[in-house]
Amino acid sequence: MAEESILTDDFLHELMNVGEVDLIVGVPTYNDAATIGQIVQAVRAGLVKYFPRQRAVILNADGGSQDNTQELVRAASINDLQPAANPHALRTLHSISARYGGGPTSGRGLYAILGAADLLHCSACAVISADSTNIEPEWIAHLLQPVQEDFDLVTPVYHRHKFDGLLVRNLVYPMTRALYAKQVREPYPSEFAFSGRLATHLFGQEGWVEEAEQDGAKLYLTISAITSGFKLAQALLGSKTRAQNNPPADVVDALREGVGPLFFSLDHYPAWRSNVSSEPVPVLGGQPEVTLEPLRINRKRLYDLFRSGVDELSPLLNSIVSQATLQELQLLASRAEQDFCYCDELWVKTVYEFAASYHRAVLNRDHIIQALAPLYRGRAYTFLAENRDSQGEEVERNVEALCLTFEKFKPYLGDLWDGRR
Amino acid sequence: MWDKFVVELSQATQEIVRSVAQFLPRLLVTLITVVIGGLAAWIIEVICRSILRLVKFDRFSDDAGASQFLRRTALPSSTELLSRFVFWVAWIGFILVGVNVLGIVGLEPHISKLVAYLPRLVAAVCLIFFGLLAASFFSRAALLAAVNAGSPSPKLISSTVRILITVLSVSMAFEELGLAEQTVLIAFGLIFGALLFGLALAFGLGGQELAKRFLEARFAHPTQREHEDELSPL
Amino acid sequence: MPLSQDPQWYKDALIYQVHVRSFQDSSGDGIGDFLGLAQKLDYLQDLGINTLWLMPFFPSPLRDDGYDISDYRSVHPSYGTLDDFKGFLEAAHARGIRVVIEMVLNHTSDQHAWFQQSRSSRDNPRRDWYVWSDTDTRYQGTRIIFLDTELSNWAWDPVSKQYYWHRFFSHQPDLNYDNPAVREEMWEVMRFWLRMGVDGFRLDAVPYLIEREGTNCENLAETHAVLKDYRARLDREFPGKMFLAEANQWPEDLGPYFSLGDEFHMAFHFPLMPRMFMGLKLEDRKPITEILQRTPGIPPTCQWCLFLRNHDELTLEMVTDMERDYMYDEYARDPSMRLNLGIRRRLAPLLDNDRRRIELMNGMLMSLPGTPIIYYGDEIGMGDNVNLGDRNGVRTPMQWDGGWNGGFSLADPEKLFSPLMLNPVYGYQAVNVASQKRFEHSLLSWMKRLLAVRKSSPVFGRGSIEFLYPANHRVLAYVRKLGKETMLAVNNLSDSAQAVELDLRAYKGNILIEMFGRNIFPRIGDLPYLLTMGPYQFYWFRLRRV
Repeated sequence: MAEESILTDDFLHELMNVGEVDLIVGVPTYNDAATIGQIVQAVRAGLVKYFPRQRAVILNADGGSQDNTQELVRAASINDLQPAANPHALRTLHSISARYGGGPTSGRGLYAILGAADLLHCSACAVISADSTNIEPEWIAHLLQPVQEDFDLVTPVYHRHKFDGLLVRNLVYPMTRALYAKQVREPYPSEFAFSGRLATHLFGQEGWVEEAEQDGAKLYLTISAITSGFKLAQALLGSKTRAQNNPPADVVDALREGVGPLFFSLDHYPAWRSNVSSEPVPVLGGQPEVTLEPLRINRKRLYDLFRSGVDELSPLLNSIVSQATLQELQLLASRAEQDFCYCDELWVKTVYEFAASYHRAVLNRDHIIQALAPLYRGRAYTFLAENRDSQGEEVERNVEALCLTFEKFKPYLGDLWDGRR
Repeated sequence: MWDKFVVELSQATQEIVRSVAQFLPRLLVTLITVVIGGLAAWIIEVICRSILRLVKFDRFSDDAGASQFLRRTALPSSTELLSRFVFWVAWIGFILVGVNVLGIVGLEPHISKLVAYLPRLVAAVCLIFFGLLAASFFSRAALLAAVNAGSPSPKLISSTVRILITVLSVSMAFEELGLAEQTVLIAFGLIFGALLFGLALAFGLGGQELAKRFLEARFAHPTQREHEDELSPL
Repeated sequence: MPLSQDPQWYKDALIYQVHVRSFQDSSGDGIGDFLGLAQKLDYLQDLGINTLWLMPFFPSPLRDDGYDISDYRSVHPSYGTLDDFKGFLEAAHARGIRVVIEMVLNHTSDQHAWFQQSRSSRDNPRRDWYVWSDTDTRYQGTRIIFLDTELSNWAWDPVSKQYYWHRFFSHQPDLNYDNPAVREEMWEVMRFWLRMGVDGFRLDAVPYLIEREGTNCENLAETHAVLKDYRARLDREFPGKMFLAEANQWPEDLGPYFSLGDEFHMAFHFPLMPRMFMGLKLEDRKPITEILQRTPGIPPTCQWCLFLRNHDELTLEMVTDMERDYMYDEYARDPSMRLNLGIRRRLAPLLDNDRRRIELMNGMLMSLPGTPIIYYGDEIGMGDNVNLGDRNGVRTPMQWDGGWNGGFSLADPEKLFSPLMLNPVYGYQAVNVASQKRFEHSLLSWMKRLLAVRKSSPVFGRGSIEFLYPANHRVLAYVRKLGKETMLAVNNLSDSAQAVELDLRAYKGNILIEMFGRNIFPRIGDLPYLLTMGPYQFYWFRLRRV
């Protein structure tokens, strides 16, 4: 069974030595020696400062790193074997690193951490991504304290630049919100926390093993928590950046990572069919700000790519979207740059039609996702243009308007799904 | 003399009758084999069609782009086509066996050759089919990649890929059938070589600037590169 | 039974700390006395201890439980006469039990004749015997020890109109050790008792003997000089006698008290004790191993003194603020239990009267390196009474049986020096020697067995210690070695069953023999040695190569 093979004997042995704990902070890694040291130190500082009396463990679920990621994690242990190196702490703090079975995917890493959370009966578990280099010790408190106070899943909110995370703002967040009726701003959290109850619920589910093999495991975790009725909260952490030496994410990869699982989830979580309007999820620790520093972005390229995309891919798009939508897209592509506006309604319809085509697999599913890329670029162009001079509140209002449009057209997706259109 | 003629005639007639008498049962068997064969082939066709429908073979070939090709040439759908093909192959097989029974000397080696040829025919058809599939898939993938990377002529790249793979698979099919092997081989080599040479020339001449800039950036001094897209979509 | 003649007898000692007043009353006045104590020597011998440490029994106004002494060469009349004491001493020695008494060097009672003379006028010859000052600003920055009652280390004397120095209660003025007359007189006092046959002194409050401006007035070099001088005299005139230091300091600061083996023979390891309790609550061995890692080596003739509880509060001076808060929250939720940066509770109530925990703590006490001290009454699991004020809650009468006054005294119960424990859990009818003697499974019987096993090998008192660091932090494991004798102690500090793998490759080939049941455990091989342990369980193994 896949379950046995992800939690290897070695992994279980490490867990046995740790014993029951109150808190776990899991960090899934694969060759992250460059960043893991500083992350583990920040996590350790957070645990020692904010949870000095609680039994805790820093758990690194590693996919088979060839660099010395694992040694760096183990060096952060606070125990009596290396007393000189320690900050003063009341208790032993284990910092363990173990490999999970199978190849390195984020889904398996997450599954291993869920398993540990269940087996060690923790009350709260946080997961920190290995490239969150600007993590502060306070983040640990912001994530874990609400879980101990009775929430089951705490996702983060960040101070973000108004042009950062466009895919999340224009597609992932509005669509997840419309489909699953909860206003979770980061459905793909790189840092988040969950309760022992949620871990036990997920770990015990049969279907979760296969989902863990996929790359969208975090999204499925969020959706699972929502559809199973667990209590959600969002915690304000800070600013979000990525590790300096990673290049900016390729749009196609981002779509694969972000949109693919979202579309895939529609098949697995029929709860999205219900027609309720979305509910807000409480935000703890303050409100996120939209930062506004000026930024150079090559907008024209987005416009060009949209046009060439629609042009070259028309035969392909013909199989994916409806005739009406395709005509509108072609009309849009023929407009001059200053008149270009990929409006909310058209975008929403485009996305929903793509989702329906994905469901029916009219083409190879990966190709469907790739075909969305030029259209997304066009949408990004419009977003950038509309918000070029906007302040934070206005940007938020525009995003809110888009969300409402997604919610309004949800029946349209339902019709497409059932083949009524 | 008339008597001798009559005797010879009757002897000849008797021989003919004897031959016919020997031949007729075999003919009967052959005809029966052909009829039964036809029935069997029809059953096989039906089974084959059901299996293909069950595995949604049509969709599969849609994906391959084979369906579009067939529609354009006013042929029936792939399932239909394949089922009929199976029918004919099976029936021809039975016919050959039946003909063999006739025992017509001189026909037998030809028949065995034909029978031996059938599997190769099937292989060739498979090759072409899967070749079309691959060509369609990879050409689409190339198209998408080129469009998303902002390449100047994505359609060209896509068509090139499709042609290359199609040509490759057709050549392989012909080789399998043993038809004009040498010609096909040489022609294939020429086309393939020319295409690749053309591409190399194009990239080499056209990409001079790019290569120069790339090398400079790597080894001389890192220049500020513009972020091509938005900051980070996620 | 003769006393052992080994000059380092204190390394094998098993000390029983007792207050004469609380142990047994023979006269019927409600207060324990030496004749009564002598009657109970058989009980003590049977228990298995071989050394007694007596709390102060000198004449005193008893405002600090006898630590405020008004006459150094006599016995408080409530406890008997000097002859009673001598009789008791002989009886103890006859049973092979040594006797260590208190010697309060630092201060006297303000009722002592010396102070009465000193304060009478500024010209009195004994004026200089105490530390006087016109202002109360000298020696600024010196900490106050009894924080809950004193506001200053200086007290105003209305008689001679000057301030006098007192590190403890204001009725306990400090002697002035810069005065050679004081030093000589105190030596004569010690000599008086040594000649009588006493085996050693617990020197109370030694860090504070000398004061100097600009210092914290603790552990000064001059203080050590005084103490070294006393030790030299002791070795010359009374070899085989022992000095035990009461110095509540960090282990690395205790080094000077051992010096090169020319000062104290023994000193209390104060910082270890709260950490044993902390480790138990945290279910984590880290506090214990860390403090012992920080403990420096001591001269080969010296020895640490270990204890779980004593007559004072469980002191939390030598821990960090975070650790103190934790200890308060876990062991003394009720603020009335807190006193002077400590917790005034007995052993059994601190451990929720959990027999397993009591056994574990005693097991650790007996197997960690040092000489163990058992506080009277803890061998039967006596309780405490926090309502008795100051630290008197842990000094209630010994509970001998379920009868009249718990067998302590024939006086009227109202006359007793302190009320007995009466509640159904810890009262004298539930917890007493007589009932526990009848049953093999009682705490008293178990303690006797524990002491017997401890005495079966010198490795406990004299061996080295090497910690093992198994990955399971809830298990404390260490190896004690002396010559060819090797012993392994494994303690499960948690409330739940544990599995632990020990790296015993250095002892490969040995078999383990469990010391209580003497059963054989598997031989040590190359693989980690797996032990499974029940909640709060401990093992003592002897390692033997066969």
